[in-house]
Amino acid sequence: MRMLNFAKRNFKELVRDPLSLAFEIILPLFLLFIFKQIDIPGDVYKLENFTPGIIIFGFSFITLFTSSLIAKDRSTSFLIRLGTSPMKSSDYILGYILSLIPIVLIQEVLFFILACILGLSISINIVYTILISVFVSVFFINMGILIGSVVSEKASGGIGSIIVQLVCFTSGMYFSKDLVGAFFAKICEILPFESILNIIRVVLNNNTIDFRNIIVFLIYFTIILVTSIIVFKKKMVSDNK
Amino acid sequence: MNSIEIKNLTKKYKDKIAVNNMNLNIKEGELFALLGVNGAGKTTTIKMLSGLILPTSGSITISNMDMKKDTTKIKEILNVSPQETAIALNLTVKENLEFMAGVYQINDREKKINELINLFKLDEVLNKKAKTLSGGWQRKVSIAISLINSPKILFLDEPTLGLDVLARKELWKVINELKGNITIILTTHYMEEAESLSDRIGIMSNGSLIDIGTPKELMKKTKSKNIEDAFVKIVTGGEL
Repeated sequence: MRMLNFAKRNFKELVRDPLSLAFEIILPLFLLFIFKQIDIPGDVYKLENFTPGIIIFGFSFITLFTSSLIAKDRSTSFLIRLGTSPMKSSDYILGYILSLIPIVLIQEVLFFILACILGLSISINIVYTILISVFVSVFFINMGILIGSVVSEKASGGIGSIIVQLVCFTSGMYFSKDLVGAFFAKICEILPFESILNIIRVVLNNNTIDFRNIIVFLIYFTIILVTSIIVFKKKMVSDNK
Repeated sequence: MNSIEIKNLTKKYKDKIAVNNMNLNIKEGELFALLGVNGAGKTTTIKMLSGLILPTSGSITISNMDMKKDTTKIKEILNVSPQETAIALNLTVKENLEFMAGVYQINDREKKINELINLFKLDEVLNKKAKTLSGGWQRKVSIAISLINSPKILFLDEPTLGLDVLARKELWKVINELKGNITIILTTHYMEEAESLSDRIGIMSNGSLIDIGTPKELMKKTKSKNIEDAFVKIVTGGEL
């Protein structure tokens, strides 16, 4: 299968970049550990709420490094070579997505192991959370594909960093949106990150789901998926002109 | 028998004609060199012939298959060594070969990979990451990779660009070994390279194929001592 062959190559490229692993795995683990030690008052810093925050924080780096990988492939003649091979667009897109899934699973397992060591109750909800998070991660990977297809390797780092910041400030992982005014709260509602965090929190804590969050997420998921496929295919042709 | 048949091939970009009404047949096993100054349309021609971009008009037939209808089948029998080195930098040389063998779904991968390792003498760098190699080695690996699917047609876009004299001569030796078995289309700025390697040379200027012939024919026609002088006379119309 060409798709799996390509995924294997992408996976090797990603895990051999120590910076990528440090940001995707070690930094979130460090934050989870350190915030628990500081013991900041407030619901968002309770392990059952902060661990989902750490999950999507880790995903934001998945976006950053996916975009960087694709922009790098575009900047060299590597994609030109593949463009002359019998590989299809679906092989590329799924090859990029599949290569990230093992990294997402490693992230999830390590985050929950540490969270449980720090005091998170062990339950079947952790397994459900991991499963739903893998699905959510596809949204972040597709965002990376979209960014990497549009901008240069240099710019992909900058735009990826903006995504990291947006996740931090608009998801509610560090503070509730209600603390910072109506305007900022509205932005949080419009962007997808708060909804994504709420979905993961609900699954982990077995709470009642707010369908608005699911609708917001699915709308963004679909838009980013379709756009990333169209833009990637288009750029594969236009880059070669 | 013709390996490649090009009829009225044209590529336009908004207000610029990159390739203008090209007609050309290339025989099986022939090494055909495309020469031209920068922007003459060589790389655009190669990109159209390798299925990377679509022509604005005209037709390309490769091994009796139409490029528009049988693109996937054609892509299985050709390969390209692009102008810039095209390898996965974080993979080792062996992994690069294995990866490309997977892309082309090669049946006897180990055998083919070993064949290329021997042909390009890649043993000493086999387990090194591509990014740690010198430019010369990277180029060599890039060209080795382009033979992974035992292509019937091979496009070499300025294969020796940036290589030192020894590396260039070494690569010429490999290309000479491939001659006859594979149809090779070579673009180069090194005139002695075209003269030494090619069976026929096509000269492009401003998107048009303005002359074609064996190196001897072109030199005789222009009363030149070498192909560089012949090229200059043809491109400038004898003004230089």
